[in-house]
Amino acid sequence: MSTLFGTFLGPMVQLTIDGKEVAAPASATIFDAARAHGIPIPTLCHMQNETPVGVCRLCVVEAGGRVLTASCVRQVENGMKVVTNSDRVLAARRTLLEILMSDHPSPCARERQSGDCELEMQARNHGITEIRYPKRYFTRPKDDSSLAIAVDHEACILCDRCIRGCNEIRQNLVLGRMGKGAGAGVAFDLNTPMGESSCISCGECMVSCPTGALTNKRIAGTELPIPAGAVPAEPEDLLELPVFKGVSGTFLEMNKGAIVKRSFHPGDVICREGDFGSTAFYIAEGKAAVSISTPMAHVKTHGGAGGWFSRLTSSLIGRDSDAREEETSQGYIPIDASVDLAYSNPVAELGPGDLFGEMTCMSFYPRSATVKALTDCTMYEMLRNVLDILLKNKSFRARLGKEYKRRALETHLRGVPMFSELSPDFVERLMDNVKLIRLSPGQVICKQGEPADSFYLVRIGFVKVTETYPGGELVIAYLSRGDSFGEIGLLGAGARTATCTALDHVELVKISADDFNAMVDQFPGVRRGLQALADERQRQNAERMAALGTISLDSFLGQGLMEAQSLLVLDLARCTRCDACVRACADAHDGITRLVREGQRFDRYLVATSCRHCKDPLCMVGCPVGSIRRRNSLEVIIEDWCIGCGLCARNCPYGNINLHPFQVMADDPDNPGRRIAMVKQKATSCDLCTEHAEPSCVYACPHDAAHRVDPRKFFSELLGTKV
Amino acid sequence: MRIDETHRVWLVASIVILGAATAVYVIYALAAPHGPSGGSPIGLVFGFTGFGFMIYAGLLGARKKVPIMRLGRAQGWMRGHLWLGLLALPLILFHGGFHFGGLLTSILLWLLIITVLSGVFGAILQHYLPTVILERVPMETIYDEIDRVRDQLRVEAEGFVADLCGGGVPEAEAMALVPEGGIRAGGFTAMRPRGGGGVQYGLTEAEVEPVRSFFQTEMLPFLLEPSAKSSRLGDDTRAVAAFTKLRMLAPAAAHPVIANLENLCEEERQLTRQARLHKMLHTWLLVHIPLSLALLLLSVFHAVIALRY
Repeated sequence: MSTLFGTFLGPMVQLTIDGKEVAAPASATIFDAARAHGIPIPTLCHMQNETPVGVCRLCVVEAGGRVLTASCVRQVENGMKVVTNSDRVLAARRTLLEILMSDHPSPCARERQSGDCELEMQARNHGITEIRYPKRYFTRPKDDSSLAIAVDHEACILCDRCIRGCNEIRQNLVLGRMGKGAGAGVAFDLNTPMGESSCISCGECMVSCPTGALTNKRIAGTELPIPAGAVPAEPEDLLELPVFKGVSGTFLEMNKGAIVKRSFHPGDVICREGDFGSTAFYIAEGKAAVSISTPMAHVKTHGGAGGWFSRLTSSLIGRDSDAREEETSQGYIPIDASVDLAYSNPVAELGPGDLFGEMTCMSFYPRSATVKALTDCTMYEMLRNVLDILLKNKSFRARLGKEYKRRALETHLRGVPMFSELSPDFVERLMDNVKLIRLSPGQVICKQGEPADSFYLVRIGFVKVTETYPGGELVIAYLSRGDSFGEIGLLGAGARTATCTALDHVELVKISADDFNAMVDQFPGVRRGLQALADERQRQNAERMAALGTISLDSFLGQGLMEAQSLLVLDLARCTRCDACVRACADAHDGITRLVREGQRFDRYLVATSCRHCKDPLCMVGCPVGSIRRRNSLEVIIEDWCIGCGLCARNCPYGNINLHPFQVMADDPDNPGRRIAMVKQKATSCDLCTEHAEPSCVYACPHDAAHRVDPRKFFSELLGTKV
Repeated sequence: MRIDETHRVWLVASIVILGAATAVYVIYALAAPHGPSGGSPIGLVFGFTGFGFMIYAGLLGARKKVPIMRLGRAQGWMRGHLWLGLLALPLILFHGGFHFGGLLTSILLWLLIITVLSGVFGAILQHYLPTVILERVPMETIYDEIDRVRDQLRVEAEGFVADLCGGGVPEAEAMALVPEGGIRAGGFTAMRPRGGGGVQYGLTEAEVEPVRSFFQTEMLPFLLEPSAKSSRLGDDTRAVAAFTKLRMLAPAAAHPVIANLENLCEEERQLTRQARLHKMLHTWLLVHIPLSLALLLLSVFHAVIALRY
């Protein structure tokens, strides 16, 4: 009999449970003694691998005292007489279950998913069909912020199993109790949404939860296909990998279909630029080359006629020989991998331990580059729920963090001339001190007016910078991979001058104020550069804010004209519809017009379908290779390395970006190593003919009808007379 | 091109040139013993100056062929074309001493007169018609897109009627109107919102019959051939009367559909109006440009012959 309790034992005691004489170690609880002898006692809050707390009281039994006792916490005593199924006990349990069920959203998510909600099962076992008690008069919220786990506080019975799983078993110390009385519940960190908390998505809480309060969030259709050369990744194999250390095996089992192990041979294309996807790859073994198609050179037309004469006066200007004035600050193409690509030779190498495709996986952006196996490779392809688990995993982050920080600092900090004078020693110091932080969509990074405590580099995703003014909020910029922010507050008055918000899944390199100050003190050139950047940004912000105060008209705002920096307007009282503007635009851009002589009307003006160079350029959000961007002079341009995914065209609310086919030389998918002519899409939008003093459409209008204007200035008189 | 206060400089300069030329001509005509002659030195100056103005005016066409070449703004060229082209006529008249001369010179002078008059006519059209289009065609589209928009209107109308009366527009036909390359590629026209789509009205066959009949017998033929004079829907006033009558015959539940159909007819009329005005705005060029070319070629011939012989 003693073997029922294993070998630790100690002194034994004799007791009676439901009339049956049994022996149990003196340290055992009634619950353990009964279960060891095959006598079931129902429970909700107790798990064998967690410290018993006796909060649900469902395991109450009669143990000879005046009141019922919770068997999971009451130790056995010699001669104790225990009754587990008396009428009194059963009545108490039924009452408890009825009270719990009265607030339970039956059937809860777990009951719907797998039919094994422990509360609902106990209620059925106890024959509870009707609830006599009123339902709670208020509802508790749901928390959908985590990619891997769904939280329904309504289904929580406060059994604390998740809290003990998180804190005792995994020792993550994320979960705890909050509130009192009817308002009590579990909370992540200081009651932050799960996805924004320090939760590492190990899954232990969800595995521990007896109800549908914490459930595995399976994305619809997440079973990854198993292509040739791939095998499903078994949880046992994954747990062998250091990067999955600490993750609940049950959790991995639940997400089994969302990760596959794939093998590639040299030359195999793993993913192709511009393709849509939903997976990320973790390289376990082997090396791969990441590249984008040879960038098309600028087409520069130095004035000229259409047809053959246009070709004579047009030339293809290579990237290096056509660097714009402001481009001295960026010499690389950002892609969705741990490396960036050089302008001149956009190819890089990825090796074991590298992860790529994070933005595609997390935010469904198109693939930013083509990845080919250089050697025999083994990779894990995963969907976002598994990637989320991986990215939050302590051991994975510890392993990759240093490398990511090094690359981020090397590429994005030292790659910028402003920071080029940083000494290797100082960069080493930064590497040790900076932090990688992850943010969910909508999460605020810093708020206007808050004390400035750090400087940030964007590693992944898009950050929206806004400034509030009386009566509204103005979008100042969208920052993407490689951009930095936070210098104005640190160099100036010490307070944030704008609010920065994560637009999607964002990862930042955070440099503390101490390190930042040490950097600018030690390297005066860096200080000067940052000060100049800060001054320029503040000057532009001041201009925008000043412009805001001049005009406010519903119809003007309704057409989004306020958002534009430069509008192509056609005076319809002058325009003879001769289309000279359209032909000029086509002539200036290799035969493809970037304007359509149609659009919304404002008074007698037609706002033509041509890039407005918006103050809030939504088109720039999500570009997987950062090819659509603002120049220092604020016009939005599309760079040569556009991969033609069309995201910017879909994002533009005014239909001002179009995709056009261009002929390029690209790798032959059927014959590795060979290059063939292929038609490739490329996004085009008005570039204001910046190489000329005036846009060609305006220059070519014979009737003085076409104008490129600042809408606030151009329409201000009109608005003033109409109001 | 709209002739407004921005032309003041050109107007003043033209008046000065014309005044000076007139003064010179009067003095010259009074002083010439045999009257003014094209072959005299002053007559040749008038001739070359007038021919130079004609050449400049004619170069506008060439300038338009190289719209992005930085040879001066196109509107400057256009103003020069208008005013110098206009001045060419009195200068050439001064050149010929208001005589038509022989066959060639007569042809030349008549060509010049017609060309200048057609240009003045075109300038008047270009001054007024853009405003007319602006006011009378608020739903203006790109001229080349008119046929496609018409197809869209027809499919849209069939959709409204099908929703009300049953039946439907074949999906393939509706999709065929989506421009190649997707919705975006066509710009604003392609993004034009479309109506119709699955609204159920629950009316009996008898109740919807007037609408069906009206659509089949009047509206659909009008949409297919909007320029037909016989259709009353092509006329604003008669169309209002037709739809008012239809409303009286149909139940109230069908009135929103009738309103939509009326709007489509209005848009169709506007497209017809736009096409007509567009043609008026540009058709005069069919006279002006060939005559200008002929004038320039014959002028060169005349100059060579006159100077050579």
